[in-house]
Amino acid sequence: MKNKILNSAIALAILTSSSAFADDLKFQPGEDNTFNWASYEQFKKDVNLKGQKLTIKGPWLGADKDLAESVIAYFEAATGADVEYAGSDSFEQQIVIDVQAGSAPNIAIFPQPGLAADLASKGFLSPLSADTEKWVKENYAAGSSWVDLGTFTDKKGNKNLFGFFYKVDLKSLVWFIPENFEDAGYEIPKTMEELKGLTKQIVADGGTPWCIGLGSGAATGWPATDWVEDLMLRTQSPEDYDRWVSNDLKFNDPKVVQAIEEFGWFAGNDKFVDGGARAVATSDFRESPLGLFSSPAKCYMHRQASFIPSFFPEGTKLGLDADFFYFPAYASKDLGKPVLGAGTMWGITDDSKAAQAFIAFLQTPIAHEIWMAQSGFLTPYKGVNINAYGNDTLKKQGKILLDATTFRFDGSDLMPGKIGAGAFWTGMVDYTGGKSAQEVGNNIQATWDALK
Amino acid sequence: MEQLYYSLLVMLLGVLGCVFYFFGSNWLLIIMFPINHVSNEKMAKNIRRAAAIRPWLFLGPALFFLGLYLVYPVFDSVYLSLHGRNGEDFVGLANYQWLFNDNEFIESLINNVMWLLIVPALSTFFGLIIAALTDRIRWGNIAKSLIFMPMAISFIGASIIWKFVYDYRAEGSDQIGLLNALVVYFGGTPQAWITIPFWNDILLMVILIWIQTGFAMVILSAALRGIPEETVEAAVLDGANGIQIFFKILIPQIWGSIAVVWTTITILVLKVFDIVLAMTNGQWDTQVLANMMFDWMFRGGGDFGRGAAIAVIIMIAVIPVMVWNVRQANAQMEGR
Repeated sequence: MKNKILNSAIALAILTSSSAFADDLKFQPGEDNTFNWASYEQFKKDVNLKGQKLTIKGPWLGADKDLAESVIAYFEAATGADVEYAGSDSFEQQIVIDVQAGSAPNIAIFPQPGLAADLASKGFLSPLSADTEKWVKENYAAGSSWVDLGTFTDKKGNKNLFGFFYKVDLKSLVWFIPENFEDAGYEIPKTMEELKGLTKQIVADGGTPWCIGLGSGAATGWPATDWVEDLMLRTQSPEDYDRWVSNDLKFNDPKVVQAIEEFGWFAGNDKFVDGGARAVATSDFRESPLGLFSSPAKCYMHRQASFIPSFFPEGTKLGLDADFFYFPAYASKDLGKPVLGAGTMWGITDDSKAAQAFIAFLQTPIAHEIWMAQSGFLTPYKGVNINAYGNDTLKKQGKILLDATTFRFDGSDLMPGKIGAGAFWTGMVDYTGGKSAQEVGNNIQATWDALK
Repeated sequence: MEQLYYSLLVMLLGVLGCVFYFFGSNWLLIIMFPINHVSNEKMAKNIRRAAAIRPWLFLGPALFFLGLYLVYPVFDSVYLSLHGRNGEDFVGLANYQWLFNDNEFIESLINNVMWLLIVPALSTFFGLIIAALTDRIRWGNIAKSLIFMPMAISFIGASIIWKFVYDYRAEGSDQIGLLNALVVYFGGTPQAWITIPFWNDILLMVILIWIQTGFAMVILSAALRGIPEETVEAAVLDGANGIQIFFKILIPQIWGSIAVVWTTITILVLKVFDIVLAMTNGQWDTQVLANMMFDWMFRGGGDFGRGAAIAVIIMIAVIPVMVWNVRQANAQMEGR
């Protein structure tokens, strides 16, 4: 009996561990000429990794995981390698444990450069090839800034490129349902003053303007950091923003406290937020936008990055059922139209031929176009066919990204991990829980001081 | 599926390995010190020698693994706590200095003390009451099984269950959280329970009490059954009522078991981590030492020195309780 069980277990293990087959591919190679199939065929010819294993770990679960795997499937089909992707809700902690324990994946997908910088300084990341650096400089819009963001100091104090940005998010977006706006007769606000006016108008009409959710497992609080960064860019100069990120401008400086209070204007008012101010920190960021779609609408607007449509109800047509407008800047302040963005950075935590090949694969147009054609993916890569975007909404965002002038990267991602993925999150949760902005700023600054 | 197959294989190898080791080492001992076909004098000597070596052989693996997984980490934690972020440069007591000036640490300490005062006391109390009550009724065993069941659920599993119980939805929408559904049913307003400072701590403790009451009940129920009937009968003849019997006759006789249960739960509470991580991750003033340690050790690249310093503090706090617990347990055994 025991043998029987063991044998069937072995048989099952063999069956389930076989790698992806070509029929897993979302778009058949050669069929749709929007895609750059030539780059896929070329890669297929150049690289053979038959029988090699590659492990990738990242922060994505659910919808995002399926999307990532749909791209990985092409790598598997082209090279014959067997790729295993594992996602984790607490990736920030998990990856630290993995590298310290010597069980690091080949490739890690960092949502925060700050965390990657930290691991690089301890010698846990392998530098990327010089070709990659050159490639990013030449092929990405604002290329040198993407190189700078992925360049860290290693254990010996040398600067190297450790991270390759693939999958960029645009953050300065407000999502809404066009139909609801039409029914109520609301115009899309062009300035921050108009946006605040609209917020009050909706309350006066008996509605709730905003859905805000900060819940995200062990990462609870992060959506609020985007709010504060966006409002920093709309109340202070880009130079001040940079000084804030590097802590030359203290976290309890009036300029920063003012930005936090700007966020409080939206999130701290029971009438402005679905569920009241208390609900902000407890509602999950993945469920928060669903309030837009309920009938009657629980809220009219949701400020969130470009990835959020992955969590919209099944069958939502972007541009028709849901759309976005740019999170506007103050007309009274001369700060232009700043854009906040972020991206996931792919780094090699356990070097192998397959890992290097995968980073090279991410430099083919097809690797970008496959995800572009679906949802929640933008790229600054100038070599892709912009028509590959799954819909006009994404195309609009892709254009914003390619034409970015004042583009600033997500500040919390650039701060030291303990701040950007710790004290800042906790501080924002405390703030929505009723602590004063000044007190929160003091606490975060105290943590930052203690790091030095 | 693969994991299942591997874990089955590991289990099999582990059991076979143990059997092989104990039989094999014993067999070697007999080969080295033969007791058959030798002179009587030699036989006696060999038996003595083998008897002296055998305990070390049999205890060897256990001692080795205890050393590797328990003793070595203790010394390594102390070593790390005196060093910097990467455990490389010596910083003396700087990590401890930082710790005692850190607001979060003070908050964690206060919260841990609250946990310590409330959870063991209530778990033991409920366990005792339930044990006493269910002993007398016909469906007592069913009641006991139901109360014991949460013991079988992992802390994370329990946290997820209770996260749903405490879940909050905006007023006016359907409450999927049991607690808020009840509140709304009786005409109240729903609350975001886990964000209300102080009360959220209590609500988190409820989860652990829910898990641990079953444990206390089982141990105390066994202790109650071990009480000689004569003492109770004598008390009845002397005209004691139920309450008096319970407090003056039964409790004093199982005092030792109560102490063991209490201290066991206390040690568990000192290490409480999973529940806080899953429910609040230490936000809204619910931080506890173990979660803070995890945070410093692994978040944002981690700071090994500070993480280890917190670990050492937790260890120092556990030691006295543990010593007392072991002594009590030993006293119990001698009493039998």
